[in-house]
Amino acid sequence: MSSKSLIDAGKVSGRKTISPETKQSLLGLAMVLPSFAILLVVVIIPIIQSFFLSLSNGEGGYDLSRYTYLFTDKGMRSNIIFTLRVTVITCVLVMLVSYSLAIYMRFNQGPIVNLIRKTYMIPLFIPGVIATYGLINLLGNHGWLARLIGLVGLELPRIIFDQKGIIIANLWFNIPFTTMLLSSALAGIPSSVIESAKDVGVGRLTLFTKFIFPLSYKTFLVAITFVFMGVIGSFTAPYLIGPNSPQMLGVSMQQVFSVFQEREQAAAIAFFSFLLCSVLGAFYIRSMAEEEKAKM
Amino acid sequence: MMSFKKPMLKKPMFKMPVFKKPLFTLLGVAGLSMSLLAGCGSGGDTSASAQSGSGQGKAAAVGETTSFNFYFTGSQNVKDLWDTLKPMFEEEHPEIDVNMVYIPSGTGAEPTYDRIKAAKQAGKGSGDIDLYEDSITYVAQGTKDGIWSQVSESDIPNLSNVSADTMKDVDNYAIPYRSSAVVLAYDSTKVSSPPTTLDELLSWIKANPEQFAYNDPSTGGSGSSFVQTIVYKDLPEEDIHNSDPSVMEKWESGFNTLKEIGPFVYGQGIYPKKNQGTLDLLMNGEVSIIPAWSDMVLQQLNEGLLPDTIKMQQITPGFNGGPTYLMVNGESTKKEAINEFLNFVLSPEAQAVIVEKMNGFPGIELSNMPQEMQDKFDGVADGFRTFNIGDLGTEINKRWQSDVAAQ
Repeated sequence: MSSKSLIDAGKVSGRKTISPETKQSLLGLAMVLPSFAILLVVVIIPIIQSFFLSLSNGEGGYDLSRYTYLFTDKGMRSNIIFTLRVTVITCVLVMLVSYSLAIYMRFNQGPIVNLIRKTYMIPLFIPGVIATYGLINLLGNHGWLARLIGLVGLELPRIIFDQKGIIIANLWFNIPFTTMLLSSALAGIPSSVIESAKDVGVGRLTLFTKFIFPLSYKTFLVAITFVFMGVIGSFTAPYLIGPNSPQMLGVSMQQVFSVFQEREQAAAIAFFSFLLCSVLGAFYIRSMAEEEKAKM
Repeated sequence: MMSFKKPMLKKPMFKMPVFKKPLFTLLGVAGLSMSLLAGCGSGGDTSASAQSGSGQGKAAAVGETTSFNFYFTGSQNVKDLWDTLKPMFEEEHPEIDVNMVYIPSGTGAEPTYDRIKAAKQAGKGSGDIDLYEDSITYVAQGTKDGIWSQVSESDIPNLSNVSADTMKDVDNYAIPYRSSAVVLAYDSTKVSSPPTTLDELLSWIKANPEQFAYNDPSTGGSGSSFVQTIVYKDLPEEDIHNSDPSVMEKWESGFNTLKEIGPFVYGQGIYPKKNQGTLDLLMNGEVSIIPAWSDMVLQQLNEGLLPDTIKMQQITPGFNGGPTYLMVNGESTKKEAINEFLNFVLSPEAQAVIVEKMNGFPGIELSNMPQEMQDKFDGVADGFRTFNIGDLGTEINKRWQSDVAAQ
């Protein structure tokens, strides 16, 4: 949008009087500016700063040694792989659960749907630390779930202090919001489309793959971006219930920064996780841009 | 949630409707963003100067009040202690306002010292940190850097209650106002005769798999003490007072021992976070022996958080332990008020709070305390060693993370 207005502004700048379109484009630009300024101060400048910080090798020079360390150190490498694995698994599970919930709520009626609709947002209102401690008490080795299933002679696998714990906590944090996003997208699909498809005998799977999914694809992309970025940068749950090693990048960053006091190395980890997120961000922006082009 | 708004907000902008008063709307948006920006911009400053700002503000309002900033770190029990002592002091001395800044352990207490040092080097006075509480490491560091000011009995009469030897150790640059030690806490229903030496402990750990746990050393002192005690197990005694990096070469066998017991500790290599993490495991019976701070164990026994069956045992030679010190920033301009406060902290009444509230060892000599308190500490106060290895502590944590945690 901004590029379009820029071109417009350029085309007409030679004229003496300002046409209404130019006026509007300028107005548009001016309205974007403040939010861009905020972005610049709180996001872009710190990223650039930490990038430069991460390049200094501690001996006065600048090189990529901090980044080489990220991939050559055994512990650090397993941290990165671990973070990506937890993130991808969480994304897939969140999407599966949220889509099912949203579709169920969209195409069914009755007391169960009403109950889900009323309760699925509750996790959003419970502070993260409290929820995490709740999970520890529930799922810990001597937690009450272990005691319950112990009655019938079953043993709970290790969940707390393991990646399973982090994934479960992340599901708890991410499902409500994702479901909310997807529900609103599904609500926007006209019933007539679905009904006419059903009338000509389209099966459930085809209905989903050919109609529902394409029509809510954009929101799906938004949702997966949020889940991905939220999980990759998560701290509280991985800190409290994650294993000592490998660690999620957020936990490792905190340790390197405030325990080992290596600010440059922490900056390198921060910049690397920014790169990971920006891959998905770029993907998201590209598909948005394509859509805008298609509209024009 | 904030970021979620972005794509949503963008959308209406594409087909921007012609507002009736576009300029008005624009101004509104711009103004709002600017005020937000201004908030962000000054955020850093406010937080940094908030302590001094609010303090000075109060001083101006009351007229005579002096306020100084007191930075301290530690677990929740340390915070509870000062939360009790501060009102007691301010009641006696309404003209002095103690502004406490609590930094939870493991969240970067180290930068506090760096701030003091940086302020001094930049010629900016005390850096708004007048009084600081920490371990011997920072006493030594600050004495070397010429940061702390010496205290004397003429300014602080109650200093005479403190053992002259302890004061001599730190050359009067700091006040040891309380002590605590790491001990073994064990479940007496499962362990009848606890280990009394480090070797016995090591063989006990191997004989009883997954019944011992120590916390991640970078997140709490009890785990760190266990790790340091093992690393310095076979090293000469003088090395625990040596912060020279050359000692690092001798760590190999200690770390090998730690790696060796890895598969025998809780969860075959799970090290909970923070001092409380292992206490929680002991509490719900997942393990039988842990290294823990004596004051935390005593306090939680008193409050009924730990069952009565939990007992303590010190090993010989002892785990890390020792006094916690109060240090006066030499650049501070409020020394009179600080001395008044320090005098109060060393009074028998305040020391009794330390014993009762925190179950710490008092900083003053026991002969100044009531008889019942003297009985409580009969003979236990010498059961620890003071490690003074400076930055090597961080090196140990780093190596522990890569060698032991990631083995």
